[in-house]
Amino acid sequence: MLTSPPRHLAVSLAGICTICVLAALIATGLGPASERVLTVFFISLIAVVGMGVYSGNSGILSFGHLSFMGIGAYISALLTLPAAMKAATLPKLPGWLAGTETGLLAAVAVAIMLTAIIALVIGFALNRLEGSAASIATLGLLIIVHGIIIGWRDVTRGSQSFFGVPRDTTLWTAALFCILALVVARLYRDSVSGLRLRAGRENAIAASAVGVRIRRERLIAWVLSAAIMALSGALIAHFLGAFSPKKFYFTDTFLLLSMLIVGGMSTVTGAITGAMVITIVTEVLRRLEGGFSVVGLEVPAVFGTTQIGIGLIILFAMFRKPEGLAGLKELEERFLPGHKIGATGKSIAAPTPRADQPPLKGDHLTMRFGGLVAVNDVSINVTPGEIVGLIGPNGSGKTTLLNMLSGVLSPTKGVVTRGDVVLTHAAPYEIANQGIARTFQNIRLFDGLTVYQNVLTAALSTLDGKRATERCETAIVAMGVSQFAGNDANTLSYGDQRRVEIARALACEPSLLFLDEPAAGMNREETDDLMATLQKLTGKLGLGVLIVDHDLKLINQLCDRIIVLNEGMLIAKGTPAEIRNNPAVIEAYLGHS
Amino acid sequence: MNKLLTMTAIGALLAMPAMADTLRVGVATAQTGGLAPYDAPVIEGVHIAVDEINAAGGIGGKTMIELIEKDVRSDAAQTSIAAQELVDAGVSILVLPCDADPSLAAIGIVASAEIPAISTCASSPTLPMIGGEYMFANFPGDNVQATVSATWAREQGYDSAYIIYSPDSQYTTMPLYFKEVFEKSGGTMLGEDTHSIGQQDFSAIATRIAGLAEQPDVIMTSSYEPDFPSMLKALRAAGVTSQIIGSDGIDSPTTFSLGDTGEGVVFTTAGHATEGSPLADFNAKYLAVTGNKSETVFNAVGYDLIKVIEAAVLAADGSTDPKALRNAIANLEGVQGATSTITYKGTDGMPVRQVALIRVKDAEREYLGSPSPDGSMIPAPRMQ
Repeated sequence: MLTSPPRHLAVSLAGICTICVLAALIATGLGPASERVLTVFFISLIAVVGMGVYSGNSGILSFGHLSFMGIGAYISALLTLPAAMKAATLPKLPGWLAGTETGLLAAVAVAIMLTAIIALVIGFALNRLEGSAASIATLGLLIIVHGIIIGWRDVTRGSQSFFGVPRDTTLWTAALFCILALVVARLYRDSVSGLRLRAGRENAIAASAVGVRIRRERLIAWVLSAAIMALSGALIAHFLGAFSPKKFYFTDTFLLLSMLIVGGMSTVTGAITGAMVITIVTEVLRRLEGGFSVVGLEVPAVFGTTQIGIGLIILFAMFRKPEGLAGLKELEERFLPGHKIGATGKSIAAPTPRADQPPLKGDHLTMRFGGLVAVNDVSINVTPGEIVGLIGPNGSGKTTLLNMLSGVLSPTKGVVTRGDVVLTHAAPYEIANQGIARTFQNIRLFDGLTVYQNVLTAALSTLDGKRATERCETAIVAMGVSQFAGNDANTLSYGDQRRVEIARALACEPSLLFLDEPAAGMNREETDDLMATLQKLTGKLGLGVLIVDHDLKLINQLCDRIIVLNEGMLIAKGTPAEIRNNPAVIEAYLGHS
Repeated sequence: MNKLLTMTAIGALLAMPAMADTLRVGVATAQTGGLAPYDAPVIEGVHIAVDEINAAGGIGGKTMIELIEKDVRSDAAQTSIAAQELVDAGVSILVLPCDADPSLAAIGIVASAEIPAISTCASSPTLPMIGGEYMFANFPGDNVQATVSATWAREQGYDSAYIIYSPDSQYTTMPLYFKEVFEKSGGTMLGEDTHSIGQQDFSAIATRIAGLAEQPDVIMTSSYEPDFPSMLKALRAAGVTSQIIGSDGIDSPTTFSLGDTGEGVVFTTAGHATEGSPLADFNAKYLAVTGNKSETVFNAVGYDLIKVIEAAVLAADGSTDPKALRNAIANLEGVQGATSTITYKGTDGMPVRQVALIRVKDAEREYLGSPSPDGSMIPAPRMQ
């Protein structure tokens, strides 16, 4: 399933094919030198887009992808290298390999498959790391694979040139594979997995809370991107005819990463833009390197100009366009309208009630952060159909309690259960699939995604993605944000962002909803509006709500029961009327009189 | 009328290269990276020779030499790209980097374009062997250098030897040829060690050799900068006093600036400037042109390269046709270069040239002679 409007994808794919075919036709007309420049461009673009599939969508910059390119190059070259050449240059090759001599296509296919398997194994280990730790680990990967290629002399000729590879990569081979890679990358970006991964990039905690298993999506992207890199490696090997491990090391990592960064990591448009800019600049600089003359003025040869030039472009791009020249959006996303609700004329079905769900119980929950006891032996239960208010002064442990119940934190002591299911140490995405959804004290939307995509991510990642479009659209309509469906989440006003966050939680079709200060920053009118909406939802859907807020008017009017925390301990519980008159609560809020 | 003039002018411009007697030489060498210490001085020599020939009106007084230069960053893939671009630019002859490895990266292009290619200073005899009939070298072969140094070692009465080599490149496996000749001429090998190019730390190898029951009379290596100085220092620091024999890779100013550590090192190279020799003439020329003293034989090797090309054009009756040039190079005999006379006739592309033996003495060159090796002792070229 694809998550962007079909029109976007159609325009985008048609654009990709047209550009590649046109470029190839023009280069053919200009002669062999241009053909070769364009062939290298296509191959580099495949690599850049391959790096983008992982780095762009996950937000983790990888320095290690050239190792997959290298693996692809060596595997494919070992398959196509003529047997006579193998006998001369690789005498110690195992017999079965020494006799093998396949064509380019078969070699590419095998290279892609084997590289994907290798990437899967590496991915399992690498996936345990987050953020910059993962980036540094990819750097380690680059160095280790380089070391293995150099050390495995019998098969790779070590650091010596691997040469004699048939030069079978023509302009049109490169063009067709480039189209294929671009299309795959573009479709992946807007696939369910791609959308989830992008949601995770924008906000990992929120993504987990709506059911996204970020690591699984990362692994998918990692393997897919490694396969694309292998394709690029196989093609460059059969274009050059000779290479050494150096080809797949720091210099080219720098070159390709600069394309990715200058163009913009997160889009295919960015990959194309970056590859174009850097290729044009390097081609010009490389030709000037050998010295030139301008109207009688002789400029001497300065070798190394190319690297300096690329360095300057990166600096320039980082200063002026930190997101890359293409920004965060695909080209067609800028010009074509985004998702529209009800555009199909279908009437929006009312949310389906989820009755008969067992209550969520937290028994004797304690949370210690080092010496600090944030929550101390608090028991709480929330039943579908009721609205429970959780109040207390700042620092009383409300959010910590909510985090324990929603799987963001694992309690130091105590048990969380729902019916027979123990959720004490469950991951947030598992909690989400138990029909428990939440919002956050500090709004955690997927900023770079549209409102529609924000909500759709949640719908796709819960209940096995069944009726996802329907759930998504129903939630958006229910929270009254359908006019913003195609807008980026971070362009909305504060109150609307709150509403989108609730819509996103509702799209999970939860039986329990946790709202962490939903009215914070809203004016009276917006708050009343929100209150009305919430009451309607609980009434109609039988939804249980646990709400944390400082707005006591809201809590009093909305809640069936109220629980009061102070300094991590439960000091009172009861109906709003009881709580209003409870001396401990008054003391906690107003201090000793 | 104006249009006609413009058309004529454009036509004339387009026709220019074909009409003028110009030999386009594509120069794809390593001006940066690990091979730059060799290719950079070679290119200085190339420029001196080209300027000299062009100032005199070109080869044979009519064919001017035009150089198109590219930096290949000591990298195989870059060499392949640069060679292809130069072929596209319509060169008649290619000059490739100073090592068999990057040069081999261009063999596919050289063979299919049928343009002769000469490596600036690769000395691996396997280069022309694998490279085919269009690939030529411009330096005494590894097997020949090893024969000269092993024979010299035996003549000095050295009976036992140890070799340190790196399987990372063809060139750094020269000690394996040395071993063959040394054993064939009655010497005993005490052992061997391998290292990676750029390894820097040689203390383990040095300790192992220092711990041998019998110290080798000779230690032979063809490692070069930055490995050779570290290796030498490690060996001397470990108390190893054996005679060190190196090869042309250490014919650089560094070797003569190592102080006491470098003293006594013997190496083979492409020539020596004795009084009145062509190399002495070249060095004088180099001083006059650049204002500096030539500190390595690789300057002269670059000069040799252009002299070979000049001789080939003359032999081909001024033709700049790549095939004619290829055949002319293959049949050159006794071309007088700056370092030695150069003969390709009867070889497979590895020229017959003089090999000089140099000893470092008081941080200067001491010439030990240029013995002609016994042909029956020279090992056959092989990939190793």
